[in-house]
Parts: sequence; C-alpha cells; structure tokens
Amino acid sequence: MQPPAEHVHWLFATGILFLGMLLVAEAIVGPEVWRRRKWRAYLWPSLLFGLGVFMWPVMVFFTNSTIHMLAHSSWAQMMMVAGAAELGLVSGKLKSRYWKLAVPVMLAVAGSAFLIHEANPWLYSRSAFVHHLCGWMLLIGALFPLGAAFKTRSLFFKAGYGLVVVAVSVALFTSRDVAPVFGHLSPSAGVAHR
Amino acid sequence: MRRALLFALAACVAAALAFPAGAWAHATLLQTSPGVEKRLERAPATVTLRFDQSVKVLANGIQVFDAQGHLVSGPPRVSPTDPRVVEAPLVKLPRGGYTVRWAAISNDSHVGRGIFTFGVRAAAPHLSEAYGATGPGTSEHVVRWLYFIALALLSGGLGFRLLVLRGAATPEAERRFYRVTAVGVIAVLQVGTLAFLLRAEDALQLPFTGFLYGDLSPFAKATRFGQAFVAMELGFAVVAALLFLAWLTEKRALLWGAFVLSLALGSGLSLSSHQADDRGWLPSFADWAHLSAASLWIGGLLCLGLVVWNDRELRRTAFWRFSEIAGPLVAIVVAAGVYMTFKRFPAVHDLWSFGYGRLLLVKLSLVCLALSWGAFHHFVVRPRLDNPGVQRRLPRSLVGEAAVAVSILLLAAILVDSKPPPKPAPQPTQALSARR
Repeated sequence: MQPPAEHVHWLFATGILFLGMLLVAEAIVGPEVWRRRKWRAYLWPSLLFGLGVFMWPVMVFFTNSTIHMLAHSSWAQMMMVAGAAELGLVSGKLKSRYWKLAVPVMLAVAGSAFLIHEANPWLYSRSAFVHHLCGWMLLIGALFPLGAAFKTRSLFFKAGYGLVVVAVSVALFTSRDVAPVFGHLSPSAGVAHR
Repeated sequence: MRRALLFALAACVAAALAFPAGAWAHATLLQTSPGVEKRLERAPATVTLRFDQSVKVLANGIQVFDAQGHLVSGPPRVSPTDPRVVEAPLVKLPRGGYTVRWAAISNDSHVGRGIFTFGVRAAAPHLSEAYGATGPGTSEHVVRWLYFIALALLSGGLGFRLLVLRGAATPEAERRFYRVTAVGVIAVLQVGTLAFLLRAEDALQLPFTGFLYGDLSPFAKATRFGQAFVAMELGFAVVAALLFLAWLTEKRALLWGAFVLSLALGSGLSLSSHQADDRGWLPSFADWAHLSAASLWIGGLLCLGLVVWNDRELRRTAFWRFSEIAGPLVAIVVAAGVYMTFKRFPAVHDLWSFGYGRLLLVKLSLVCLALSWGAFHHFVVRPRLDNPGVQRRLPRSLVGEAAVAVSILLLAAILVDSKPPPKPAPQPTQALSARR
C-alpha cells in the first residue's frame, strides 16, 4: 500500500524546511560563529545527503510513469552528489572550490526535472501549480549558490540560497494531488477527490 | 549592479508565470480486473480498469489478445456510474494466457498506456513474454554485460581492497580504489535503471514519447525482475552511501558493510534468473555463488591493473595475495557452473542441439582459456616475480587475462537473456506422485 503522493511531498518538505532553516541560520550568524562547533558545519550537507538517500525508495516505488521515475532518480542522485561534495569540502577531503558548484548544478537539475515531469499547465490543479512554482524557484534560485561559490562572504547570496530552499519547502507543504488552486480546478482534472 | 540583478530575477519570474507549459495530462491506473499476471479459474466477462481521474476512451482503449494475437475483446467504454472506470467486454475465453494493452486519454489530449497479462485455467504469461513483446535484443545483452562489469568493479574492487590489499594501501592506491568503486556503484545504479526500462519498453512496445508516460507499475510490482530491480536499486543506493562515508571518515568497517551488502544484492540477479524457475533454493544459491566468485575474480584482475600498477612494491604484494585467493574463487566458479550445467542440460546432446547450449560451449572454452592463463600466472609467473623481464611483460599478460574475463561476462549476459532448453516431460509415475 503506497502513501498518496502529497504525503511523500510533505515528508520531504519537512526535511527541506530544516535544510533551509539551517542555511538561513548560517547566513545570519556568519560562518565564523556557525563553525565554532565543528559538527555544525556538517549539519546541512549531511541532511542534504540523507534526503538524497531517502529519495531512492520514492524512485523505485512510484513507477506510474517512466518520466516520474526518472525525475525522482535525478533528484536522489543530485542531492546525494551535492551533499557529498559539501561534506567533502567541510571535512577537508576535497580541496578544489569548484566542488561548490555541485549545489547550483543540483538546484538547476532538480528544477528542470520538476518542470519536465509536470505535464499539466500552471492552473490545472494545485499540484501542477506547485510543481511549476518549485521548478522555477529552483532553477532561478540556483543563481544564489552559484554566486555564493564565487563570493563566499556575500550575505545576499547565502541568505538567498537558504530562503529559496525554505520557499520550496513551503510550496511542497501546500501540495495536494487533485485540489483547486486559487479556487480554480481544470475540468479535465476530474473531481477533487482528496 | 544589485538593482540590475534583482530586476533580471523579477523579469525571469514574470516570464515563467506568463508562459505556462503545454497542456498534457496522464491518468494513473490504480486497479485492474483481472489482476496483473493472475491465474483465473473462470473466464472473466469483462476487463475493467480504474484510474485516479476521469478519462476518455479510445477505440483501441482496451485490447485483449490471446497467445496467437487474436483480438478477443469488444469496444471499450467509460463506466456510466464512474468516469474513472473503463471496461471492455470479452468473448467467452478458452483456457490460455492473455495480454491486455490499454490506452487512456485525458481531456487535454495526453495518452497514457500500459500492459498486463492474465491466464484462464493456465498460468498467465510473464509480462516480458506478453503478446507483441519481441524478447531481449542486442541492447539488452549489452546493458546486462555493462551491469556485470559494473558489479565486478564494485564487488571485486571492495574485495580487492579488503582481502588483497588489506592494510597495505598507499594514499595513491586508496584514491584509485575509491575512483574504481565509485564508477562501479554509479554504473550499477544507472545501468540497473536502464535494464529495467528496456525490459518494460520491450513489453509495452511504445514510441519514445508514449513510453515516457507508460505505466511501469506492473513490471516493478508483479515481476521477479521488477522486484529484484526495486531491492537492488535501494540496496546499491545504501552501498553508495556506505562507500562515501567510508571515504569521508576513513573507517574500514563501513567498507566491510558495503562489501557484504553488494555481494548479498547480487542474489537479486539469481532470484530473477532462469535458475529461480527450478524448485528449491540450491539452483539460485549456485547461481549467486557463481556470479559472486566471478565478480570477485574479474574485479580483482581489473583492480590489479587500475589500482596498484603504478606502485612496484604494492603491485608485487597484491599480485602475490591475489594469486592465493584466485584459486578458491575459480574453484567456486567452476563447481557452481558445472552444477548449473547439469541442472539445465538433462541430455548431453542438448549442448550442441540448442542455441543456448552452443553459447555455453563457447563460454566454457573461454573459461578454459582464462583458467589456463590464471594457472600460468600462478605457477610460472609468481615464483619469478622479481625477474625484471617478467615484471615488464606481466602488465600485458594481465590485460589479456582481464580481456578474456570481460568477454566471458558478455557471453554470460547473452546466456542470462536466452531461453534454456525445455525440461523433459515427467514420466507418468513421476507426474502422478507430483500430483499427489
């Protein structure tokens, strides 16, 4: 028995909200204060890596279409790679600062996967709206960690990155499979059954 | 500058909101009657599909074929009581296996498609043997071959690090080892997905755009191959995590976890292969032992070239230790292989009268070549390892042995995708006792 898709969205929204809050907190207090306790540097990269691992069950159990399966697979892999790259950087195992580009690449790929696999237009249903919104937020939001990779002390880029992640989590919390958005539901979406 | 950046961002957001994506939708199939790959004792009067949203029905929305490809269903219609249900009447079905191909269209024109099978007083055909499926082709052979190589790099690489190098690895060898096994685990995950999609695509027989929205659930849930795919993808994702954490924390215990898990996950291939058709656990166990030992042997050979070859001292130690464990590994490969050959070929002439048997003979001759090569390394080269001439020529010889081993994997991939000879019909007394 599989849980409804929106329940899975809410579970991941919870993890992503924590991730965003950690990023915003780090941006506000600055890296010097944040890293006074060494373990704090590992917090959000570990969470990102863990979310990637937990995305694999979604990939293999939600196989109602090929494109959904591939989208979930790309999220799982990108989150694991970006989390692993950040963990490698904070542990000192990776030296090149180009590894910082793993996060913007992850956001860009994740956003593209959202947009490609959502087959309905914006106002088809709430779920469709949320998918478009998340896709574009991630795609444009990729500019923040991209900027932070080169301007490492910029509060604007770091806080922007954190806020984009928080915004994506909030959007995911509003996901309902077949429900109206702004009072509108496409007649082709059928009856709002959940 | 900052104002310009903000303006650009706002313009992008406005553009995204102004130009929504094209209108497609796809319905998800929630339930079928008859169930996927179900054997029924009474012929059903209709085929019914329940979707998660309302759908329109196409003229060929439900087509039911018998084993010869005759259409045995009437025109489909949306249920008058529920717009999410589509049904099609059936003629009176005789005993046999049947294939259902469905297509559902949403009001905004996107078509979702799928397939399932059922049997009437007979076993339902496997989805991969549904009417219209063409069976494994060259691309499936190549993908399975790549899967075997990836598995050899992963399991064999881990075995090489833990059983051959043990604590002796230099930082450079350690780096190379992690690169080799990372390639292995990433390839296992990607090629595993590709193999699953190819298998589903063969049964669905859809054009690319149709396949993107094809329903894969029956393959993932109702076939041994699909269940193995689910377990192996999940398991190898954990192996990837363990491998990464071992690299990050330099804790070798995590490598042991990854090694044991990757060997255990190899059983997914055995449990979804022809060996699992036989009764009892021994054929599947033999297949798993055969595959695991071959992965360790071939992966170890590849690691000799890829991980330690730049370091003269380490190379010598590794070659010496690998020779020690290669013997038992080869013994397992041969013993399990001989057992499976006897299981598969009740009569000796099956070996040359069936395509499967002839392929096996080619594979056996390559195995003999690889074994002779290995024996030459063990008995002739190993005692002369300090000789500079031997050291100079040995890399080429190892590459040759590894190339033969990788060719064996290709033949193994084709054999796994091929049909073995049919089993002889049971004698009347055996049939009687089996019925009792």
